Amino acid sequence: MITTKDLTKVYRTRDREVTALDGVDLHVHEGEVFGVVGQSGAGKSSLIRCVNLLERPTSGTVTVDGQELTALAGNGKRAGKELRAARGRIGMVFQHFNLLSSRSVLGNVELPLEILGHSGQERTRKAHELLDLVGLADKAKAYPAQLSGGQKQRVGIARALAGDPKVLLSDEATSALDPETTRSVLQLLRDLKEQLGLTVLLITHEMDVVKAVCDSAALMKNGRITESGTVPELLATPGSELARELFPVGGVPSAPGRTVVDVTFHGETTTEPVISKLSRTYNVDISILGAAMDTVAGKQVGRMRIELPGSFEDNVVPIGFLREQGLTVDVAAVARDDAPDTGKTDAADSAAGLVKEGAK
Amino acid sequence: MTWSEIQPLLTQGFWDTLYMVGWSALVALLGGLPLGVLLVLTDKGGMLHNAPVNKVVGAVVNVGRSLPFIILLIALIPFTRLVVGQSVGSTAAIVPLAIGAIPFFARLVETAVREVDRGLVEAVQAMGGGTPTVVFKALLPQALPSLVAGLTTTVIVLIGYSAMAGTVGGGGLGSVAVQYGYQRFETSVMVATVVALIVIVTAVQLIGDAVVRLLTAGRGGEGAAGRWPARLGRGRTVGVAAAVVVPLALIGYGVGQGGEDKQTLTIAASPTPHAEILEYVEKNLAEKEGLKLDIRKFNDYVVPNTATESGEVDANFFQHKPYLDDFNKKQHTHIEPVVNVELEPLGLYSKKEKSLKGIGSGDTVAVPNDSTNEGRSLHLLDEHGLIELKPGAGQEATLGDIADTKGLKFKELEAAAVPRALDDVDAAVVNGNYAVDAGLNPAKDALVAEEAKGNPYANFLAVKDGNQDDPRIKKLAKLLNSEQVKEFIQDKYQGAIEPVFGPVGS
Ligand SMILES: Nc1ncnc2c1ncn2[C@@H]1O[C@H](COP(=O)(O)OP(=O)(O)OP(=O)(O)O)[C@@H](O)[C@H]1O
Ligand SMILES: [Mg+2]
Repeated sequence: MITTKDLTKVYRTRDREVTALDGVDLHVHEGEVFGVVGQSGAGKSSLIRCVNLLERPTSGTVTVDGQELTALAGNGKRAGKELRAARGRIGMVFQHFNLLSSRSVLGNVELPLEILGHSGQERTRKAHELLDLVGLADKAKAYPAQLSGGQKQRVGIARALAGDPKVLLSDEATSALDPETTRSVLQLLRDLKEQLGLTVLLITHEMDVVKAVCDSAALMKNGRITESGTVPELLATPGSELARELFPVGGVPSAPGRTVVDVTFHGETTTEPVISKLSRTYNVDISILGAAMDTVAGKQVGRMRIELPGSFEDNVVPIGFLREQGLTVDVAAVARDDAPDTGKTDAADSAAGLVKEGAK
Repeated sequence: MTWSEIQPLLTQGFWDTLYMVGWSALVALLGGLPLGVLLVLTDKGGMLHNAPVNKVVGAVVNVGRSLPFIILLIALIPFTRLVVGQSVGSTAAIVPLAIGAIPFFARLVETAVREVDRGLVEAVQAMGGGTPTVVFKALLPQALPSLVAGLTTTVIVLIGYSAMAGTVGGGGLGSVAVQYGYQRFETSVMVATVVALIVIVTAVQLIGDAVVRLLTAGRGGEGAAGRWPARLGRGRTVGVAAAVVVPLALIGYGVGQGGEDKQTLTIAASPTPHAEILEYVEKNLAEKEGLKLDIRKFNDYVVPNTATESGEVDANFFQHKPYLDDFNKKQHTHIEPVVNVELEPLGLYSKKEKSLKGIGSGDTVAVPNDSTNEGRSLHLLDEHGLIELKPGAGQEATLGDIADTKGLKFKELEAAAVPRALDDVDAAVVNGNYAVDAGLNPAKDALVAEEAKGNPYANFLAVKDGNQDDPRIKKLAKLLNSEQVKEFIQDKYQGAIEPVFGPVGS
């Protein structure tokens, strides 16, 4: 639905050049919610702004719903007629809502309809319908200044849906909201996606957001996408940084000379029976050091860190059993005698880095 | 002056001010708004980023803003004539007022529009809106309260500028204050006009603030939630009504002013005594002769002649022969005198000494600083032996033409300011009209005064060459030299101004 090919964006300021996007290939499939995460300055906003050409890419192509937007006319910051029409079919939601304080809630939702050239009556009818959809039917006459953050974002979403878009872009739409409100806005997005068959590309720095709504995710670093795929795919990828960030597991071995392994569940198997079966079959005492399980896209997924008595060599058979069950098993660095301590510290640091980022 | 005399001055001044300020504010709004928006759009990072256009417009606006208004007023005279067909009167004053206010308002618009969150521009662009949509649906509505505040400031500045409109005969409260208060020492008039101006400025500010408040309250701004929206409707109605009614009223006033018929003679005159003499003629004599006079008052000595030359006024009455000869030569104009009317004898006045004998070595004498009046003053002092001019010193003698100052020191001042200096100097040579305005009487108070007979400084009615035989001019000349006018001048000015009739000698 959204495809970018070798997308590059270089910002030129008087004294220097910043490469915000460095050859980005992105594929967002129809009907999925695709999350892009990454540290501040990674180029996430640049990417999403290039998708509807608010920012013209330096090179590369953007194709949305089969239409190559980068091929449409426009000189400099001015967009040609076709590009404006194409933008009308792509909804966009902003971190700071960007509602016009001079217009009522209804007026704000009517604005894109005015641009699309709908008649007055038609506009009002449709705007009321959209407000109903986001649960703000009673706030039509209010002004943005009289709404809470969550309500404002609902108006922003209603407005973004005015052109019956197939694609919705969202740049940190929940970053200015408290956790409770974030959850309800995300739920709304999820519902709307199901109801309207939307494809959603969302930018966030909160892993919780990805966990809560995304079917797929990509990690951006220094203007490049370093990992990308559906959530189960990411979990199945050994050493996936995204998987680790999404489902961080902690816990240190209770005594030296034991084996610690991280088990990843992709959603095909359930948790308990596998572990108890392992315990029963091989008569080993398994202790669970930590787990991060969640429902992603309706499936039970997550990671669990367990401890087995004895060295790695003693546990080759139980680990083989887990792998047979279709689980990914990584021997955690913490328990490996030969692993240098720095390996562990690196991972912990980068996790801490992302957590800090999320708190920003 | 009594209230009944002041009141019509105030009323007329009020309407003139409203007319000039109303129209020029409207033009400033229509001109400054697009300029201000253009400045934002063409700036770096703007939607129509265009450095050359931005630089040029910015420079033009800055030049417009830095020119002193009085210079603009004079410099724009040819342009004004081109636009409104005349360079004198309230309508003509609107042109420089508007041109002065456009760059001022444009900067305020620029600031207001710049304050609009860029995110809103982005949001409209993301919806598929082009530049016009962004401007009309986001930038202007969002900036509206600031724009209204800017317009309020502009109107107040225009009220200030309009005080200078008297230079081109525009009238208005400010020029009433200058004419009567400053030049004629009518403190009561000055106080009344200043109070009226304060009231108007305050009212404008209050109305502007109220509109801004209504606009922001309607948007559910701070502390207004739920209380105000109901009143927005009324606010809008009042706003729209005012927007419709005020310009209409102004147009009506302008049209009413414009009505002229063939017999009407338009005459440019200095307020005292020329306009007063003309007003006497208009009220008491003109009617019978089937003549109508439209008297325009000027505080300035250049515009009445240029307006006569260009045909915007039919005649003028404010000057004497030496001044006109000099003017015709320097400005290449073709103004000709028609008939002498009066002389304002130049006199030497003192607050320290009672007679001429008291003035001598070591004393300071103030004299007017313009070429004709200064020469005239020095000749007066020469005739009475206070100084000795070099032989052959002409009518435009200056301090450099004095052969022997006999110990006197001189201070050169603008003619209108000389009477004000009387307290600070030992003696001063004052023009008759300014002496009258300052409450002095040439017949009684002057230590010495000019002779009326054969005096080249008699003031006359003048027209553009070729119009001397216009029957209306002939009628007016006859009336100005009538027995009634002679009596009027003698009665009213008690010798301060003397009737001097007959053809102008060369
Ligand atoms: N208009 C611009 N001009 C110059 N440099 C820019 C511009 N916009 C972004 N950049 C630079 O491009 C890089 C990527 O910025 P971008 O806004 O895409 O990051 P981000 O991932 O969205 O960060 P954040 O999480 O803080 O929003 C940064 O180094 C930023 O400084
Ligand atoms: Mg960003």
